[in-house]
Amino acid sequence: MARLLRCLVLACAWMLCAPSQAAEPLVVVPDTNQVDIRMDFAGKEVQAVGSMDGPADVIIKVVAPQQEATLSREIKLGPFWIGGDKVKMAGAPSLLFLYANRPIDAILSPQEREKHGLLLEGVPVHVEPAIPTQAAGEWRKAFFRIKEKEGFYREDDRAVQVFGNRLFIAHMSLPGDLQTGTYTMETLIVRSGKVVGRDVAHFRVRLAGVERWIWNASHDYPWAFGSAFTLAVMLLGLGLNAIPFRRREEPRA
Amino acid sequence: MELFLPIAHMDVNIVLILLYGGLVGFLSGLVGVGGGFLITPLLIFTGIPPIVAVSSGAAQMAGTASGASHLHWRYGNIDFRMGTVLLAGSWVGGALGVYLAKILVRLGQFSNVVVFLYVVLLGFIGVSMLIESLRAIVRARSAVDAAGAAGVPNGTGAPKSTLRAWVARLPWQTSFPASGVHMSVVVPLVLGAFVGAMTSLMGVGGGFIMVPMMIYLLKIPTKIVVGTSLFQLLFTTAAVSVMQAGVNHAVDPVLVVLLILGSVVGTKLGAQLGTRLPGEKLRLILALVVVAVAVKMVVTLVVPPGEIYDMTVELR
Repeated sequence: MARLLRCLVLACAWMLCAPSQAAEPLVVVPDTNQVDIRMDFAGKEVQAVGSMDGPADVIIKVVAPQQEATLSREIKLGPFWIGGDKVKMAGAPSLLFLYANRPIDAILSPQEREKHGLLLEGVPVHVEPAIPTQAAGEWRKAFFRIKEKEGFYREDDRAVQVFGNRLFIAHMSLPGDLQTGTYTMETLIVRSGKVVGRDVAHFRVRLAGVERWIWNASHDYPWAFGSAFTLAVMLLGLGLNAIPFRRREEPRA
Repeated sequence: MELFLPIAHMDVNIVLILLYGGLVGFLSGLVGVGGGFLITPLLIFTGIPPIVAVSSGAAQMAGTASGASHLHWRYGNIDFRMGTVLLAGSWVGGALGVYLAKILVRLGQFSNVVVFLYVVLLGFIGVSMLIESLRAIVRARSAVDAAGAAGVPNGTGAPKSTLRAWVARLPWQTSFPASGVHMSVVVPLVLGAFVGAMTSLMGVGGGFIMVPMMIYLLKIPTKIVVGTSLFQLLFTTAAVSVMQAGVNHAVDPVLVVLLILGSVVGTKLGAQLGTRLPGEKLRLILALVVVAVAVKMVVTLVVPPGEIYDMTVELR
């Protein structure tokens, strides 16, 4: 709450000081610029507060760093479904969220959506190795279908609330299995079907605490880490085994 | 209660993982299998990336097997001479299996071969054990076959006699007093190599192959088989754990510790029950579990999938 209030004050102060310019003045402040993934991390809600000059619709696009994915397809061989071909899907962000104050289709035309990269299936994803266009199209469709089904590509038309045509608050719910790296939060304000203002903010997602230490150790010294850890679990198994495991007699009254 | 796994890079329910560990530990203590054939599919079903599931499963088995081996050592259930020969074989077989896996991956047939190996091996071993253990239980109840009291089935067919005669002619005949058998070192060495190769190909400890083979092929009493299998399993899975961490960075310590904590309780319960149950009943339990997993895999192969595409992402 305190962070949200700080964001509100910042947004208002910025609004008062902002020089007039051709585009709609817009400022958006996320309540954090860093998301730490610790042992108890199970997703996080990031809030952003923004101010605008008059009534408008608000669309926020959150884009995660790119992540390479391998897509495989099962084929039928006799009575069995077995693993068939596979391709790599490159260039697509690991997460793409579109937030708005009402359905984006009612705010922007399909052409405008495409122009501003506001289509979940409009992300440029490359199929490797290169295959004929029609076949590549099928793989792309499957990629977007799975991403949407798993909740990594999502559209939410109730996540942004507008107050008094001047201020808005966005509630952005990030899942537990977040890709680390720098996330981009692009905010667009739309009036009469046209984008009239734009602001870009960033926040960083990183491993912290024990999680970071484990990740670094397992990647910087993999053999030493593997040997030490395996020895440790063998000793742990032995140690835990040495603990007596008997039912205690209940004291009689 | 959620906990974030740093290597799998996802959050999991603590209670669920403890339960998985408990279930696998119970089987481990009861019948001497590491439970890799069970824990790996369970973890993958929970959403853990397959490579992390396989690698962390191996590390967990090393932890569980160390505790269970210690228990069985105290009960006098380990034949160290037999275990060492099996282990030597399994390391050689494991290395050959890694090379074979590399060839299969290059041909794009690795996952298909693994699935069919699971179905054929689990199905064959499970059904054979099921039939034999049920027969043994019926025999024990009717007390007709007093000669079979050692808990080891006696082969009577001509092919088995021929095989036994052939095995008796092999070089390096050695006595294994703890197991109460006398045979050529070549037999456990080859068996170990076969299990080692399967371990590399199927990502399992190999207990579900080793245990029936030792009971039916090497004619070792069930209780000694359980302890010796765990001894061999301990060092095989430890080697796999180190290699998976070194090569693939895929062993998740948080996941492994959770699984071990769950499995310790399960192992003790299993080992205590195991000492009280007769050999044929232990074999029946293992047979039922193996058959259930085989049936589940056949269903997966035959039933049309809801989504024919599957996606795996790079760990980060």
